[in-house]
Amino acid sequence: MKRNPFPQAMLVIWGVMTALPLLWVVVTSFKDDAEILNDPWGLPGELRWSNFARAWSHGNIGKYFLNSVTVLSVSITLTMLLGATAAYALARYDFPGKRFVYFLFVGGMMFPAFLALVPLFFVVKNAGLLNTLPGLMLVYTAYSLPFTVFFLVAFFRTLPTQVAEAAMIDGCGPFAMFFKVMLPMAKPGLISVAIFNLLGQWNQYLLPVVLVSDSEDKYVLAQGLAALAVNEGYRGDYSRLFAGLTLAMLPVLIVYAVFQRQVQSGLTAGQLK
Amino acid sequence: MKHGKYPLLAAFLLPALGLYGYFVISPYAQAFVISATDWHGLSNEFNWVGLDNFKRLLSDEYMRNALWHNALLLILLPVITIVLALFFSSMLNVHRAKGAGLYKIIYFAPQVLSVAVIGVLWKEIYNPRSGLLNGTLRALGLDGLAKTWLGDPAVAFWAILAVMVWANVGFYVVLFGAAMQSIPKELYEAAELDGSSRWATLWRITLPLLWDTVQVAWVYLAILALDGFALVQIMTRGGPNFSTDVVGQRMYDVAFSENKFGMASAIGVVLFFLTLTITVAALRITRRERIEFS
Amino acid sequence: MTAQEIRRRTVLGTAAAATLAPAGLLAGCAMGSDDGKPKEEGQANAKNPLGVKEDAALEIVIFNGGFGEEYAKSHEVMYKENFPKAEIKHSAVTEISKTMQPRFIDGNPPDVINNSGAGQIDPGTLVSQNQLADLADLLNAPSLDQPGKTVRQTLLPGAVETGTFDGKTFILNYAYTVYGIWYSSKLFTDKGWQYPKTWDEHIALCKTIKAAGIAPWTYQGLHPRYMSWPVISTAIKFGGQQVAMNIDNLEPNAWTSDAMKQAASAWHQIVKDGYILPGSPGLDHKQSQTEWCNGKAAFISCGSWLENEQKAVTPAGFNMVVAPTPSLGSGDKLPFAAIRGTAGEPFVVPAKAANERGGKEYLRTMLSLKGAKDFTGKVSSLTIVAGAADGISLGSGLDSCVKALKDSGDKGFNWIYPVYYRKLERNLVDAACGEFFSGRIGPDEFLTKCQKGADEIAADTTFKKYKRSA
Repeated sequence: MKRNPFPQAMLVIWGVMTALPLLWVVVTSFKDDAEILNDPWGLPGELRWSNFARAWSHGNIGKYFLNSVTVLSVSITLTMLLGATAAYALARYDFPGKRFVYFLFVGGMMFPAFLALVPLFFVVKNAGLLNTLPGLMLVYTAYSLPFTVFFLVAFFRTLPTQVAEAAMIDGCGPFAMFFKVMLPMAKPGLISVAIFNLLGQWNQYLLPVVLVSDSEDKYVLAQGLAALAVNEGYRGDYSRLFAGLTLAMLPVLIVYAVFQRQVQSGLTAGQLK
Repeated sequence: MKHGKYPLLAAFLLPALGLYGYFVISPYAQAFVISATDWHGLSNEFNWVGLDNFKRLLSDEYMRNALWHNALLLILLPVITIVLALFFSSMLNVHRAKGAGLYKIIYFAPQVLSVAVIGVLWKEIYNPRSGLLNGTLRALGLDGLAKTWLGDPAVAFWAILAVMVWANVGFYVVLFGAAMQSIPKELYEAAELDGSSRWATLWRITLPLLWDTVQVAWVYLAILALDGFALVQIMTRGGPNFSTDVVGQRMYDVAFSENKFGMASAIGVVLFFLTLTITVAALRITRRERIEFS
Repeated sequence: MTAQEIRRRTVLGTAAAATLAPAGLLAGCAMGSDDGKPKEEGQANAKNPLGVKEDAALEIVIFNGGFGEEYAKSHEVMYKENFPKAEIKHSAVTEISKTMQPRFIDGNPPDVINNSGAGQIDPGTLVSQNQLADLADLLNAPSLDQPGKTVRQTLLPGAVETGTFDGKTFILNYAYTVYGIWYSSKLFTDKGWQYPKTWDEHIALCKTIKAAGIAPWTYQGLHPRYMSWPVISTAIKFGGQQVAMNIDNLEPNAWTSDAMKQAASAWHQIVKDGYILPGSPGLDHKQSQTEWCNGKAAFISCGSWLENEQKAVTPAGFNMVVAPTPSLGSGDKLPFAAIRGTAGEPFVVPAKAANERGGKEYLRTMLSLKGAKDFTGKVSSLTIVAGAADGISLGSGLDSCVKALKDSGDKGFNWIYPVYYRKLERNLVDAACGEFFSGRIGPDEFLTKCQKGADEIAADTTFKKYKRSA
């Protein structure tokens, strides 16, 4: 078979097109403001680690980072727990109103989130959760449910029923069956959807801006970075901004690189056969 | 599974439903109600205006213009993204191109960038004077192709579309890649023995077997095409001369710079029904519904 | 009934249920509650003319943008010197609208808001929804540190009109901004160029500049409204203050008046003759201003924040200065020196603020000579307080603003339609300018397009209309 060089070239070109921007952000974070603005594509004159120090301390990135990690560690866990249980119930049981509940969840994917902002503020306030990190955790979880349920319902449907039936015959109760049999079987799918939720919640910006506004101590990373970015529009500490962006971007990239295989296999297992 | 069904259903569904109903459904439901008012979002004063907001929208030429762009996105974004993603993922998974593992990580990279970074980055790439794109074109002697990109109404929309495709292809490469791994190898080996080309293999074997996944991809991308306005907001705010305006941007402007929350909610409701219609249509075509709820 | 029909009904049913089910819960939600706090009020006396309650807490929200928040902290210290028992809550946010709006609905707004930035709350709506306190008592109160003068008497001419709606002042615009054409006085001295006073001189100089290998002009292409400022300024100087008044009042054909036509066709020449830096329409404000700082273009239109905004990239000795737009001809109603000066950086006291009097007192502190000097020193910007910049050494740009204002004297002018109808400038005029300065439409079409935008706003009953007569 003759080898056409075109496809390989396309792979390389696309690879460059996607890798370059990442490199650009990282390289830019070492430049000073004059270099960034005058020569956006040039290399930094020297490695200015002080940009990172400034972003971390003066830009409060350290604090925001910690807040993000705190919020996400709870909200991702909760999202997965509630999403998996609800999806399992919808996928494996029949009950009246099932279709209604399913569409109720999936319909949430189709509404632009910022429209709910103002009512949401009052909903959260009435619950006494305004300007609190727990409030943010619950809201993140709630807004991640549509995608999680949509994805996991499809996933649970593909799991073989024989195992479940065998477990039933062995006298396994329905709860034990879910936690001991189904959940382990669903692990690849759970990891995939957890990673996607992680990406979404890590970069979530609108919700925290409205729900946590009274003190910068409680800002999460995306919100803190946006605050920095808005400032740069006026004050110009671009180097600090890019250092902050790099600090925000790398952990997620590393998490993805580490779990890449699991994400892939989760998606594979989730395919409808 | 009759025995003990309802305790489990209650325990599994009610917490999720409760949280979802409280934080998601109830604010959205309020948005539906607000769409029938002239509320400005600054006090508790408002008047009921019935369907006035919707009537205004019908005759609003800016809204029509924005809808047209969403319609274009609705067709082009999924088509281009899916074709590219299919091509790349078949290269990486079926034909096992060199360095496939590395490509899979790199292609996904734009997904970890927040929209703000993507916006800043592409504004520099599209910079007509010092930008990478015009720089490359000029270096290749293609000066005639160098443009003002985001400053030219004839080009800006396509420039934004390109960024959307760029940012999303990686996800679908992974998604399709996963599906391709479950296609039996023998099929490809047979195809190779027959001497069929890569394109023919993709077209005759991979695509039909991936059809369900492609449909799901189309639904995700359609939803994105309808309300994904963040890039527009950051890169052009709908300009120049409304050439990149989309419904999401209209709604954002009406809500937050004109403070007309009644009208903005009406736009949101329209958007909701559009998305719903298209999703249901797509789901019906793929018959996923029947598979899931037989 | 077919299966498909059932499915459709389910979908619609879901949506309908989502609409109706929780409707009963709405009372007490987003549009519901409005339990304003009781007002904190004290006894007025000579030292405390506004009657502030001495121990009432004061909440200040600052826009964390170009000016940062440090200046506000020193104003707060000054306030505390006079009211030591008052507890001050200070916060600085970047998205004023999204963070403050729910508090307005809740009837629980802070006492002072610096309503600024891209995410500001639409000022026209704040006023039309009666959300702001009338600042008349503040303006008529005695100045804090200029004996014998009321606050109003200590301000620059025209300082309050940008915050005045139908005769009542609701918004205090604290910083004073000069809008004009900027150039590097070093470049001009080196090349032996003279800033042109008339349009013909301007065009002649553009020719010389272009011959020297520099583009005469660049502009903030992705925000082309910056170029509407010199066009409108040229028209006002040609046709007099009435030109601006008509535009602000949405008079029919205000944009297609003779003065506007003269101005637009004059400005069209820099497009036609290729005096604009190639690629400008695709540059955003930072990119174009950086090209200008790097000497790629000679002129740029901007406000006096330019110097601060460009600090990081301005070469040493660049010496940026501002100048008025050139006069069209000898028939101009206003002299060459007339320049657009206007108050910006809005501060408001919400009508429902618990400590409304304290909020106004805080503004009085800002408007003291000491408060204003401190601001100018900290953030390199002029304030509306007359004489507050005297004796402070500023950069070349701000020095030139002070001088330009002095030269302009009482011939200064301004327009405020962007305050009344934000959308008209930000969306509609902006789009028209983009088409005009990229050469896709001519001057007549440009003005027709602006007029069409103004007519749309005028016909749209959802915008409250304001008129001004001075």
